[in-house]
Amino acid sequence: MDSFNAIALAIFLPFIFAGLIPLANKVFKQYIGWFAVAGALTIFLLIAKVAPIIIHGDTVSGGVSWLPSVGLEFSIYADGLSMLIGFLASGIGVIIMSYSNGYMSQKEDLPRYYKWLLLFMGSMIGMVFSANTIQLFIFWELTSITSFMLIGYWRNKPESIYGATKSLVLTASGGLVMFAGFLLLSSITGTFDIPTILHSESLISAIHEHKFFLLTLTLIFIGAAAKSAQGPFYVWLPNAMEAPTPVSAFLHSATMVKAGIYLVARIHPIFSGTDAWFYLVAGTGMATMVVAGFLAFRQTDIKAILAYSTISQLGYLMTMYGYTTQHEPGIGVAAATFHLLNHATFKACLFLVAGIVAHEASTRDIRKLGGLRREMPITFIIASIGALSMAGIPPLNGFLSKEMFYESSIEMGAAIGSPYTILIPAIAVLGGVFTFAYSIKLIDGIFLGKRHDDELPNHIHDPGATMLIPAAFLAFLVILFGLVPSIPVHNIVEPTTAGILLEHVELHVKLWHGFTPSLFMTMFTFIIGLLVYSKYDAIATWQDRFNERHSAVSINYHYDAVVNNARSSAHKISAIIQPGTVKTYMSAVLALIVVLVFIPIVLLGANIIPHTLNFNFNIAPYEILLMLLMVIAAIAATILPGYLPAIIALSALGYMVSMLFIYLKAPDLALTQVLVETLSTIIFLLAIVKIPQKFKETISKTTFARDAIISVAIASTVFIMLINATQGIVSPFESLSHYFIENSLSLAGGHNIVNVIIVDFRGYDTLGEISVLCLAALGVYNLIHSRSEEK
Amino acid sequence: MNNTLLSLTIAILFGLGTFMILRRDIIRVIIGLSILSHAVNMLIVSAGVFDGTKVPIITETHGATDASGTVFNDVLAEGILAPVVSATTHIQYVDPLVQALVLTAIVISLATTAFILILAYRIHEEYGTTDIRELRRLWG
Repeated sequence: MDSFNAIALAIFLPFIFAGLIPLANKVFKQYIGWFAVAGALTIFLLIAKVAPIIIHGDTVSGGVSWLPSVGLEFSIYADGLSMLIGFLASGIGVIIMSYSNGYMSQKEDLPRYYKWLLLFMGSMIGMVFSANTIQLFIFWELTSITSFMLIGYWRNKPESIYGATKSLVLTASGGLVMFAGFLLLSSITGTFDIPTILHSESLISAIHEHKFFLLTLTLIFIGAAAKSAQGPFYVWLPNAMEAPTPVSAFLHSATMVKAGIYLVARIHPIFSGTDAWFYLVAGTGMATMVVAGFLAFRQTDIKAILAYSTISQLGYLMTMYGYTTQHEPGIGVAAATFHLLNHATFKACLFLVAGIVAHEASTRDIRKLGGLRREMPITFIIASIGALSMAGIPPLNGFLSKEMFYESSIEMGAAIGSPYTILIPAIAVLGGVFTFAYSIKLIDGIFLGKRHDDELPNHIHDPGATMLIPAAFLAFLVILFGLVPSIPVHNIVEPTTAGILLEHVELHVKLWHGFTPSLFMTMFTFIIGLLVYSKYDAIATWQDRFNERHSAVSINYHYDAVVNNARSSAHKISAIIQPGTVKTYMSAVLALIVVLVFIPIVLLGANIIPHTLNFNFNIAPYEILLMLLMVIAAIAATILPGYLPAIIALSALGYMVSMLFIYLKAPDLALTQVLVETLSTIIFLLAIVKIPQKFKETISKTTFARDAIISVAIASTVFIMLINATQGIVSPFESLSHYFIENSLSLAGGHNIVNVIIVDFRGYDTLGEISVLCLAALGVYNLIHSRSEEK
Repeated sequence: MNNTLLSLTIAILFGLGTFMILRRDIIRVIIGLSILSHAVNMLIVSAGVFDGTKVPIITETHGATDASGTVFNDVLAEGILAPVVSATTHIQYVDPLVQALVLTAIVISLATTAFILILAYRIHEEYGTTDIRELRRLWG
């Protein structure tokens, strides 16, 4: 199997496995989770098979024709960056699905759970290996949809539904904005293919000089920010914590939220090296990093703390990918990539610990937890490793990537110059301080301190191996990457950075790298962090008070306002345009008729009354009589109060119409009209036999005046239209009728031209007419039938 | 049949039909719809593109060749628009196309009339009234 097929298989296998789940459920029953694990492991191995080629510095690409008419193909592009996220999606997937076997109760709907997990994994892998923007967009939205299904896994909890809806609204609409950006990009470059753009300097400089450069970048970045919970879009992530904890660990810390980061890294070569990139990406990242880190303080749910921490950490990544100058476009890329990997390990580990704690202690409230270190020693150790790594304590991997973050911040600050020389490192340290504080809080709040006996179950203990081993494995990776950084750096970070920067990269990361400025920044972070931690509760209380007083500052407040208002505004609008009274609808339709008739007459420049108006009364008296009788019959049908007389008048009108058709030289119409009029009179009479006339409308003067005005307006509009059509306006088209007259005999062999048109030239129209008759007959039959069923 | 008198008749029918469909009693609305459909049918037939003197049934043995349709002698590209029916044009048949259209329309209006009458009947059965305003009140 060559590399292209291996990756194509890795994309489609999750979907195939997901399709097999219902079947497998019959065989494996409660062990269905292990079937899913086997699937994920297969996919991991498939990607691992391709890895040596990519680590060597090559890329894998290829395509299969999909929509050749618009120049689209199913195409794959695998470089270090896609490999890294692919490994995360499948590798963390294996860990999470194993863990779920212990976490998810057997009573849960397990097939649905694993099906959506696998579908998510497939979408994620499909996305990172997509070589064109359309394919990327499709998989991108698929991850949003699968995430929606997984957040809303507990369908009967209103919080789940709220969280799921919020995430879908924000990430999917962000995706649409991104799609608009992709379309702009393709209109600038003329291609949907990402590698083509990446490897073409002329295309990239064309993008840089294009007047829509900033717009394209902003649109695409909004999609990335919505997905990665950056800037104002962060609000969906805390609510997404309603998902089962393994899902939060998988989607909302390790993989799906990295999709936005992936996209930023993917388009890095296209847009970086510009001021816009720095201010947009790094600016959003820094703001998110600081604000989310600060907001984590007032959270009491341990998953919520982790959610805010994830947002803040994603802000780190954005910031680092945003560090750019014209001469050195990728200052923070290596640091960001290393941190991306490290964050996936320690944050997924912490989420799994949170799941364990919630599972064993039946609460996730940090105010109720405490003192669990004696009862859950192994969990305590694992959690400490994860949290200390997040805090940046040596010798764990979080320390290394945070050092690199500080280093790149100093470099970026120096590259721009004053006042950024100090400002950027200061902001970085501030983010680090908050991270340090809430990391310590997690350990302190759950495992240290006093045990709240009244809030917690009597016997709490470490969970079984199914749940411990996945968390322990991640903790092992945290230590391994910290002690021997050359393994991840050489095998993953270097190829990924090379993939982003499109050049050969060699990195030297050592645990001890001397007394550098960044080391001092780290020590400074620890000191300030400890100080802040001593005021942790005071800050949280202040935040709560502030939030109560200024609720309008919160983004959630505005989201809720918009979403809730959407409902009531829709109600208001439909109350205006759909008041429910037939009269209103009719008046609108009639008014439109008047307007639609007058506009073309005015536009065509015709006189309202043509000059050539033919007021020739020199016609046969019986013609005048016929028309007079028609008018009288119609007036009678209108003014006679009883149903029966009115219907007789209507019937008389119908027969007179058929006579008029004779006069208009339309014998077929006359014949049909006589038959139809007879039939419809009978139906009318049948109906009024069953409908006694109880209601008599008394028309008030104002109503009469109003309706009379409308009627006269319609009548005069029709009159003007008709005299213009027949005597005034000249038709600019040749009539089709000539064709029918000339070909009726020769083509269809019929003498009666009207009949030939009906059954031959326009046979399908007649078929449609017969269908209408059938449907009406069925409708009539069923309406009568429905009554006998009910009674 | 470009008779102003006929146009006037059709217009009056339109006005009366419109007045009727604005009533509150469903049966009267249906009567109004019937009047309107008659008016529309006549409107279409009388608005045929050209007038002839003969019913559109070919009776001559040599048939189609006789059916002169040279009504137009306009050159669209040069913006010259000839009148639809010039006095000199030799026309035999009345416009068959509008008749074919109306033939379909007549039959369909029968189907819709029957259908809405049954609807009115069912509404009366369910709610005991044919007053639209009262119905709206009952629906809430």
